[in-house]
Amino acid sequence: MILIPTFLAAQQNQKLVSGTVIDATMNMPIPGASVYISSSLVGNQAKQEGVLEGAMLGTTTDFDGNFELKINDNIKTLMVSYMGYETKSVDVSKSSTGLNIILEASSENLTEVLITGYQKIEKRKATSSYSTIDVSEIQQAGVPTVDQMLTGQLPGVLVQPTSGAPGAPSKISIRGTATLNGSSDPLWVLDGIPLEGEDIPADFRDKDNIDNLQSYPIAGLNPNDIESITVLKDAAATSIYGARAANGVIVITSKNGKKGKMRINTNANVFVTQKPDYSKLNLMNSSQKVDFELFLASREDLQYQKERGDVARILNSFDEYNTFQSDGFSAISPEAQNAINNLRTNSTNWEDQLYQMAVNQQYGLSISGGNDKNDYYFSTGIFDEKGGTIGTGQQRFNITLKNNFSLNDKLKVGVALFGNQNKTFSYITGADSYTNPAYYARNANPYLKLTDDEGNYVYDPDLVERSDLNLNYNVLEERKNTSHDLAANSLKSIFNIDYELNSDLHFSTQLGLQLDFNKTEKFSDKNSYYTRKYRQRSQYSTPEGDSYYMPEGGIIQNWNKEAFQYNWKTTANYNTTFNNLHELDVMLGTEFRRNKTNQIHTKGFGFNPNTLTTVQITDDRALENSLFDPYQKGSNENAFTSFFGTASYTYDRKYTIFSSLRYDGSNLFGVNPEFRYLPIWSLAGSWKIDEESFMADLEFVSNLKLRGSYGIQGNIDKSTSPFVLGSYGNVSILPGMNEEIIQALGAPNPDLRWEKTTSSNIGLDLGLLDNRIYITGDYYYKKSTDLIGLKAVPLESGYNFINTNWGTISNRGFELAINTMNVTNPNFKWTSGFNIAHNKSVVEDIAIRKENFKPSLQGYSANAIFAIKTAGLDSNGLPVFLKDGKQVSAVDFYNLEQATDGSQLTREEHRNLYSYVGDGAPKFSGGFRNTFQYKQFDLRILSNFNLKQTVQATPSYYPTLAQPGNNYSTEILNAGTGNLPALIGANSPGFNTDLVYNWYNSYDVGKTYDNLDIWVKDISYIRISSIKLSYAFPRKQLENLKISGLSLNIEGRNLLVFGSNYDGYFDPETFGSLYAQPIPKVISGGFNLTF
Amino acid sequence: MKKLIYLSITVLLCFSCNDYLDIKPVGQVIPTSVEDYRSFLTSAYSITHLNKILTTYRGDELQITPESPGVEQYEDIYTWNDENPSPLTRQFPYGSFYNVIFYCNHVIENKDNIEGDAETIDELVGEAFALRAMQYFELVNLYSKPFNLATAEGDPAVPIVTKYETEVDYPTSTVKEIYDFILEDLKMAENLISVDKQSTGFNYRFSRVAVKAFKARVFLYLGEWQDAIENTEAALTINSELQDLNTDMSAMPSEYNSIESILALETVASFDIATNATISDDLINSYNQSSDLRFDLYFKETATERYRSKKSKDNKFKVSYRTSELYLIKSEALARLGQTELSKTVLLEFAQNRYTPEGFESFKTNIQELDQENLLIVISEERRREFAIEGHRWYDLRRTTQPEITKRYDNQTYTLEKNDDRYIVPIPNDAIINNPFL
Repeated sequence: MILIPTFLAAQQNQKLVSGTVIDATMNMPIPGASVYISSSLVGNQAKQEGVLEGAMLGTTTDFDGNFELKINDNIKTLMVSYMGYETKSVDVSKSSTGLNIILEASSENLTEVLITGYQKIEKRKATSSYSTIDVSEIQQAGVPTVDQMLTGQLPGVLVQPTSGAPGAPSKISIRGTATLNGSSDPLWVLDGIPLEGEDIPADFRDKDNIDNLQSYPIAGLNPNDIESITVLKDAAATSIYGARAANGVIVITSKNGKKGKMRINTNANVFVTQKPDYSKLNLMNSSQKVDFELFLASREDLQYQKERGDVARILNSFDEYNTFQSDGFSAISPEAQNAINNLRTNSTNWEDQLYQMAVNQQYGLSISGGNDKNDYYFSTGIFDEKGGTIGTGQQRFNITLKNNFSLNDKLKVGVALFGNQNKTFSYITGADSYTNPAYYARNANPYLKLTDDEGNYVYDPDLVERSDLNLNYNVLEERKNTSHDLAANSLKSIFNIDYELNSDLHFSTQLGLQLDFNKTEKFSDKNSYYTRKYRQRSQYSTPEGDSYYMPEGGIIQNWNKEAFQYNWKTTANYNTTFNNLHELDVMLGTEFRRNKTNQIHTKGFGFNPNTLTTVQITDDRALENSLFDPYQKGSNENAFTSFFGTASYTYDRKYTIFSSLRYDGSNLFGVNPEFRYLPIWSLAGSWKIDEESFMADLEFVSNLKLRGSYGIQGNIDKSTSPFVLGSYGNVSILPGMNEEIIQALGAPNPDLRWEKTTSSNIGLDLGLLDNRIYITGDYYYKKSTDLIGLKAVPLESGYNFINTNWGTISNRGFELAINTMNVTNPNFKWTSGFNIAHNKSVVEDIAIRKENFKPSLQGYSANAIFAIKTAGLDSNGLPVFLKDGKQVSAVDFYNLEQATDGSQLTREEHRNLYSYVGDGAPKFSGGFRNTFQYKQFDLRILSNFNLKQTVQATPSYYPTLAQPGNNYSTEILNAGTGNLPALIGANSPGFNTDLVYNWYNSYDVGKTYDNLDIWVKDISYIRISSIKLSYAFPRKQLENLKISGLSLNIEGRNLLVFGSNYDGYFDPETFGSLYAQPIPKVISGGFNLTF
Repeated sequence: MKKLIYLSITVLLCFSCNDYLDIKPVGQVIPTSVEDYRSFLTSAYSITHLNKILTTYRGDELQITPESPGVEQYEDIYTWNDENPSPLTRQFPYGSFYNVIFYCNHVIENKDNIEGDAETIDELVGEAFALRAMQYFELVNLYSKPFNLATAEGDPAVPIVTKYETEVDYPTSTVKEIYDFILEDLKMAENLISVDKQSTGFNYRFSRVAVKAFKARVFLYLGEWQDAIENTEAALTINSELQDLNTDMSAMPSEYNSIESILALETVASFDIATNATISDDLINSYNQSSDLRFDLYFKETATERYRSKKSKDNKFKVSYRTSELYLIKSEALARLGQTELSKTVLLEFAQNRYTPEGFESFKTNIQELDQENLLIVISEERRREFAIEGHRWYDLRRTTQPEITKRYDNQTYTLEKNDDRYIVPIPNDAIINNPFL
């Protein structure tokens, strides 16, 4: 429609060109293919003839693949192109009608160029290690962000979901960890613009990190708008991004309009999130729990919180607790027996109360097209998901506009806008650890009723602050009366100008803007545990009794964060070939970047949601309590300048050497000026062996390339200054005085050096049988020295800790990807992609702290897990330990002595109790992708695996703290058998049991119980992340409806996990986390329609 | 189009990169002006140490029982259990002194670079010297032997730190070196400070009178009696006022806004002292309840006929030096020098403000005939009464007789022997862990 079908110059002699465009493999006509004369040809030709410059001459094929075109007589070649096929030039000088033009599908699905975000490098010249994937191959319905889709799809890219909650990010690490306490997130780049956003917290077993809603860099991007994803892995590929790329770079290339007539694509999916399998948690049911409480009550020695739980309450209300304890169940009154037995039938269905099956929707619409002068891509999308946990969800709205213009032969301009709103909602689960729904479901008594017969909330009698203070928690009330929402609004815009001075030299400049407004609101009604608990903190005593300075009513808290960044880069590119032997590509550029964030946090108390009014706190006591600060503001600004260049030389299409250099400068207030500029460089080379004459006979080898690279990257800690830096505050030293103070920030360190990572990579690309088998293998070694971390210093310095260079970590590993086209029948096709990666990190040097309880990581993996080896139980059910190969009791192991407080071990001896038991990072990880195409049916199976990963469960109970008010895993029923320590009290029978009791109850401050080897195990699993079946209607059937494509699909996600058992937890990925929401199983169905 | 390129290049060159990168973060500062440094030093002044509170538990002024809320934080201090204290025990402060020293060092090190009025700078730097001296005075009295001329050159104390450095060792100095260092600092402070007396509200800052009072105390601890007397006299010429409790019982003389106040900086009491501990029988019995006006002013009776301190955590109870101490130092020093009559005069001048007229008369009669030894005992008892729960007692016990103390706690008797090693508080673990020289 945009194309002008035929354009004629009047004076010229013309000829008719006609023919059919056909797909090479399917032997089917291709409708909608572009047939055109390249504008440069027209321009050159037309100049003399007085034809309008820049006009496009061309047409598109009809439904049968046919076309007809009148062109000037003297035009000799015609271009034919279609998406996914190689563009072909056709000689029309001799015959021009009845042409049969056969288009070959692009020999690999992957693009033939490596897009680094700074430049496009022809694949044959690429020297670095990278992986690319077409998003269409891994697209899944009901997945809001592209990071989750990458799980297991790219070798060396470990993607770990942190929680199944809507909007929860996946933690990505590329080639292991290069830092000990900094962020290990890769840099996300969208069409050349590095994205800003929150770092993903390192520890996702921490409930605060799980409960926080945050806006991550790519959260707003619609996967439908993404064409491909390239992960840059080695130094040769990433060094051009400077210091920020130390963790690797993920380059997102968004879709552009394709030449050809307008295509309208709509897709819709309905996806159903299944209720999670609550039975995975192995909790006691009501009857088991009642028996367990009876057991606790019968044991005189188990005193811990013995008054809790309904059984104890019933016994106490009948005043028969002691009777029961001495004479058993039969001795108590029938009324009490009945009351207790009735509990067994009270089964609250926690699964139904907290979790749901949710029906969700996702819609997308895109309009795209283009011609030689202009291409366009517009899209919009809606994603609406309710979580498997009731009360959680996510909604996203997207609009994307992209337009590229060729103003003339030399000048191209591109504009892109990505706008979205991403809302995540939940309820307040952060009042304390008990109120996280996943955690509460594990701990609440199974017989606890949530509402009484009139529908009033029943408060948990066992969730109390102190024995005399119950602030009344009910999970349903909390869900109803509190809300926690994040609305992230983001606008990213990119403006490109590309100017081609001549065929060798071109300049481009790109300006990217990113504007983010994140609004978080936490509201809790007057009638909520959160509010009650908050108000408790304003309690004070008066002669008349307790009083509170927090007004009655709700609490409203808002966090408004505004972030802005611009990134302006300009490059000059010189590409030339001389003597047909030497190819030279040089790029030079500059980049300026500035970002600024402002955050305002406000709190209102006594909030009434109907009138929107709050009540001022007038009590002076509130001034000293930061919980009641009504207003806080934070601001942060950074600027960066960079100069960079790359040079690549290729000889005889066989040998390429490549080098890049970048200087990064940044604002470092109060930082040694010598650290302002930081050079980052790399050197790489490749040898295309298949081009060698000695390979000529080996026809089955279609591609063979050897690559190698070496480079240095660095990072400087911006929070540490060589000078004494201060921040302002206010203080009242004497009554009635209020003075400004300047408080020294963290300890200055003038000796701080750059954190440096050197990496080397050697790789091989092998294509066999016309690249039907394509193998890429890489081996790498990365060494990060002078890692910056917090180190304890002598207190005499005035500080406890200082940021200093304190460690060295190395990572080595290999990656292997094999892509094969197993069967390529016209009616049946089967392609597979398999990848596997292994990474081994070693902490080579680390400054240990003498007061540490756990051993130093030196010589072990950065994620090493240390545990205390046990050897079963003694006759009293107390754990027996292994020390120097001998079995010893807890008393000997911990060196416990009567009449002392705890262990007499020094810290060093304490550290020596531990043994290394495994690596917390998987030994092997990867994925397997299979696509089957039978006639109109398409079946795709995606899977990912982690092999041999050591994981640590959170103890299912503590032997001294087992109490009737909590529910437990059924494991506790076996306490005292196998490896599971018996439940003990201070007076439990057995030799020295009291010592062991005291140890575990009070003095085990290094938490050795949590680190017993019984909680540790190795797991391996493979997850079938997606099975998708689609049916594409034959074109013939659609023609009459003026539809060019229609497909239907059904998909099941996360349906199956094979491997080690992960009982007690919802998913192997979140093993050990009591707070993670389950990763949802999703069934979806939808269609994709193209006009 | 070429124009566009040239324009871009020109713009790029015009950007001076260092200007572009010069962002001063809002809310952050590298102190430069004297006003900045004042705020910086105020930070140091605002750091409070727990040592006076904890030594009060360690001394003989309080009684606690296992039933007192929060007692687990204090029981091992109370019973001098330094060997294996419970992990819940409050730590004596160590790092916080060096934190203040860090601030003072930074001011002193940069004294020639501070921008502003020379007099104001001198004043500030002088205060930094005095404040630093104060930290070392507390450290040496907590963590090493009391000053003994015979052994001070060998008695180990704590490290002296005068500048901030990373990756250096911190070997300990001797008691002698610390005291020399304190006197050196106080000399600097004297030369630089010109304000005689700070106004109420700012009297947490050092002034000339405060430095003199501090010096008087240092010489008292050193046993340099004549120097102690000279410094009390110098201080008394600036402020010699005493609060006469016969006419004014509105507030305690130790409060920050009392006419007696010289320096109101240190926190001496806490919520737990005031609400969860009671006053020891010994201390209560040392007062003549009917004639000593301080008794009702300092203490309140509980339901169980015990007494609690009225000094609490409130800022208004902050105190370091006050005129009463000058009188008592002077009286003691004179007595030590054998000038008993002069000593008694000074003591009576002070005591007149503390007893009812009848009580004063009998006090006067009682001391008339005392010889040096017994006079010193009376002065010591008077110090004990005057400075109850003011953080003096432990140091006074240490520097004088180091007597045996016995306490009953949880049906057990605990004894601190005469001259017991435990008159020295052990340096906290977290300090030892990080400094192998301790």
